[in-house]
Formats: sequence, structure tokens, C-alpha cells
Amino acid sequence: MSRLVSALLAVVLLGFGGFLLLSSPHSVDVALYDGLKGDAAKGELVFWAGGCASCHAAADAKGADELVLAGGQEFPSAFGTFVAPNISPDPVQGIGGWTLVEFANAVTQGVGKDGAHLYPALPYNAYNKMVPQDVADLKAFMDGLPASAEPSKPHQISFPFNIRRSLGIWKLLFVRDDWVIAGDLTPEQTRGRYIAEALAHCGECHTPRNALGGLQRSAWLSGAANPDGKGRTPNITPAKLTWSAADVVEYLTSGFTPEFDSVGGHMAHVVENMAKLPESDRQAVAAYLQLVPPVN
Amino acid sequence: MKKRLIAFTTMAALTAFGVYAQDAEDPFADAVETRHGLMLQMASDLGTLGGMAKGEVAYDKATASKAAANVAAIASVISMAQFPAGSENGKSADSYALADIWAKQDDFLAKITDLNNAAAAMQTAAATDGDAIKASMAQLGGACSACHKAYRQPES
Repeated sequence: MSRLVSALLAVVLLGFGGFLLLSSPHSVDVALYDGLKGDAAKGELVFWAGGCASCHAAADAKGADELVLAGGQEFPSAFGTFVAPNISPDPVQGIGGWTLVEFANAVTQGVGKDGAHLYPALPYNAYNKMVPQDVADLKAFMDGLPASAEPSKPHQISFPFNIRRSLGIWKLLFVRDDWVIAGDLTPEQTRGRYIAEALAHCGECHTPRNALGGLQRSAWLSGAANPDGKGRTPNITPAKLTWSAADVVEYLTSGFTPEFDSVGGHMAHVVENMAKLPESDRQAVAAYLQLVPPVN
Repeated sequence: MKKRLIAFTTMAALTAFGVYAQDAEDPFADAVETRHGLMLQMASDLGTLGGMAKGEVAYDKATASKAAANVAAIASVISMAQFPAGSENGKSADSYALADIWAKQDDFLAKITDLNNAAAAMQTAAATDGDAIKASMAQLGGACSACHKAYRQPES
């Protein structure tokens, strides 16, 4: 009997050890960031393409207020409510004084300065495809934004999802750093893929998720239930989105659909962001969307 | 037989009352229909301008100017008159209007002013050329979506 208890205990301990090993946070390859200098002007385009302000500024912010990344917006989901943190350059409440590697770990690996996993409400499953120079440029731009001393509010996440260590397993299962649309792409399609899959993180809302919140890459961009439970994000594969490239460019510039309805909801943020990029980037996104396999 | 007649009469009465009750409960049907009509006419005129902006249709000054004048006229009509308190999503059939319209009425009205300014800019652009229309489309679209982002319940 006692032998059975010992054996069970050994299995439990081994399992726990394995859990600790598999769930441990990983850092970026520091060598990739060694000596990189950020260019704030280029970083501004990365900032808008990445949609940082849409979640980290106040919900109704416009103009200069969009650059105050004090956090506070709430994102309800099946796992609880995530609250966007303060990522302004405030050294106490924000991320002022972080090194480039600390910043890169948060943005691309979902690992905070304290070494703990961050929740994937931060789309690091897309940002992990960013080139290190863009991460450096982004940091240079964000370092120059106004600081806010507003404290970050805690997430309201229920058990067991509030155990951050378990996110290590989630990452093992669902985080992928390869492109969804592979193969030989033209330079324009490649640029569009970079914007759509790495920066603008289209798939985070437009791709369905499984019960554990992992993206179903085989149904890429085929539409999904809104995380807050109200309505759906539309299917934008060529099976349903039959707009011409010019129509997509117009939509991402002015927000007008081909029927001249106008964009609303969270997508209105995305259009505001995309409208700040050069037109060639919007054309690239349109070219990329035509490559996506149709899903009905 | 008598029982069946009573049941039938009750059903008929309930049905009639139901229909009546539905009408009585939705005094905003006209306001909502007016809003949608204004938006549809706006979309039609924007379609004329958008075709020229995208280069799908050749620029024609008279046609563009007429469409832009219509957009400006519709923008000037939009006011709280079409948004009586209570004509909101969930309370009035077919309404996508969010309750914040009334809670943040000053901001809502400011966004209508923005729309009128953008429509005036489009009138100038429409008298110029297709490129000017294209450039003006972004400002006009921004005015439309600013309001739709804050005050319209997303579809689907």
C-alpha cells in the first residue's frame, strides 16, 4: 500500500516537474536585438499598423489623446475580463525604462518584465512574426509618447485561467511563429502578409478559436464569434468577401463598403489605423486577402 | 365543439391583441424608418462620388456636384428630430441606435457637425476633379464611422 502511495507521489512529482519545465517563460534571442537602434518616425507606422492605441488608449480617445496609452479598456471573454494595462513611458505605472529586450519579450513572446507570462489578449501570437528592427522602431516611437501615472487595473480572470504559469502550456499548444499563408509570394503579397499576420493581427478577431482559445488556422479569417459574446466578426476569405482590391483599399481608407455603408464597432479603429499607412500598404493587404483559401 | 370555439376565439383575440400591442409598443417606427431612408439616400449619392473616386466612372462635374449637394442636404437634415428618446436598439424594432446617443447627446451632435463640415468639403472637391473627391472621401468616411463606431450596434 505504502509502495503504491510512493509510486503515485513520484508520478505526481514527475508530472509537476514536467509542467514547470514545459510552462517556463522563454526570452527572445538577445543577439537579434544587440546594437539595434530604433527610428521613431518608422516606429510610428509600426505603431498604427499594430493597432496599439486601439486597445491601450481610452475607448473614445481621438487626436492627441490616442497617444496616451494609460490602459483601462475592458475586454470581456469566456475566460474573464481582460483590462488593458498602462504602457505609457511612465517609469512607475507604465513601461518607461524597460530595455529593448524586455520590451521585445513582452510584445513578441508575451513575457512581462517580471518574467511572468502575459495573457494572449496581447496578440503576441501575431507580433512574434515582427522583425526585430520594427520592434526597436516601435519602442523608439512609444518612448516619446506622453507618460500617464494612471495605475494599471487587475484583470478579472477566474480559476484556473488566473494561474499564469498554465499559459506556458497554452503557448506550447497554440503559439506559432510560421506564416499561415506560405509559398511563393510577390513582394506586394509578402508586405500584405506581414501587415495582416504580424502587425494588424487580423486573425485574432476574424479566425475562429477552439474551446481553449487557440486559433483554428485551418479556418483562417473565416469569421468568428465575438469574444464578448455579442455577434460575429465576418468571414473575410474570398468565399464571402467578394470585393475587388480597389473596394478593400477604399474600405481601409475611408471605411466605406462598396454599398457605401460605413464601418462601425471595433473595426472602425482598424480603419483609422490603416488609413494612416501609405496607400501601397493598403493595396498590399488587399492583395494578401485574395490569397487566403476560401472557407464557406 | 363549444370548447373548441372558445379556444379559437381566445386565440384570435390574443393574436389580434398581440398585433395591436406590437404597434402600440413601437411608436418610433416612423423615426427609425426615416433614419434608414436618409442613410440609404446618402449611400446612393456616395456611390456616385465613390465610383469617380475609385476611377470606375469618369469624372463628371455636374453629376458629382449634384451628388455632393445631396449629401450635404441629408447631413443638414440629421438631428435629434429623427432620434426621439427611447428609439434605441432592443427597444424599437430595426433600430441599431445605441442608448449612448442620448446619454452623450453633446458628443453625438458634435459628430453631426463634423459630418456637415466634411460634406461641405466634399462639395468643393466635387466641383474640382476625381482626385479631389478621392481625398475628400477619407474625411467624409471618417465622419460617418466616428458616429457609427460610438453609436451604432454592429450588425450580425
